[in-house]
Amino acid sequence: MDESSTSSLGDRVRRAQRGDEAALRDLIISYQHRVAGFAYAITGRSDSIEDLVQLVFIKMARAVQRLKAPEQFESWLFRLARNTCIDYLRRQKLRRIFTPFAPEHENVPEPAGAVDTEELDALRHALAQLRPKDRALIALVQEGRTHAEIAETFRTTVAAVKARLHRAREQLRQHYQTDEH
Amino acid sequence: MNTEHQAWTQLREHAASLIRPGFPDRVMRALRARSSPLMVAQFAMCAATAALCLVAVAIYRARLSADENVQNLAGWSEISTQANDLDQGL
Repeated sequence: MDESSTSSLGDRVRRAQRGDEAALRDLIISYQHRVAGFAYAITGRSDSIEDLVQLVFIKMARAVQRLKAPEQFESWLFRLARNTCIDYLRRQKLRRIFTPFAPEHENVPEPAGAVDTEELDALRHALAQLRPKDRALIALVQEGRTHAEIAETFRTTVAAVKARLHRAREQLRQHYQTDEH
Repeated sequence: MNTEHQAWTQLREHAASLIRPGFPDRVMRALRARSSPLMVAQFAMCAATAALCLVAVAIYRARLSADENVQNLAGWSEISTQANDLDQGL
């Protein structure tokens, strides 16, 4: 992201912080698809993506006033999205205890072939084999977050992030190759 | 690796396709609905009900202790009369 786009992002965030609805709407338009991709990589469910993304933006709108560094909006938004997705998965797990046979509460996110291509099916199934936090880690990297930003999100060190990322990538690669062949 | 990169692109495209048109408007509407006067009114109603319950409990307790006081006083005056009678008898 270049300097001008960062400053315009900062400006939009500041306007949203002052309660400018147009700026808030603009931010939603800019990030809706990226947040959807991020949430889908973590949850693996097509049926609840829109609700989940909506929840992320509602939380964003409510908390944006408290964001001290508007230039770090993107990193902050993906941290918010990550926490929302992890909470969602936790709630789903809890619900499964009370309604164990409901199909939407099953651990396998979606039946194979529910999405268009073999590559995507293989990636979805490889991601489903990882722990949600590892999925979130890989999704954050895919979103272009730096190791330092991720370390801040996970409240850990950069070295620990690198090690976890290496393990998670290895696991993903193994499952992806197994699924593909 | 190239196919994995392709798969990630497809994943993002698939996820983006799940967001129906008009999504920002729906979020804005949901935001307004969640902080609407109706919510404030509901909250005020809950607070008023809780306050009413507290007042009712306080009144009930005050009345109960007043009744107890009357009973205790009656008991003490009876004891005091009996003690006086005993004194005079002696």
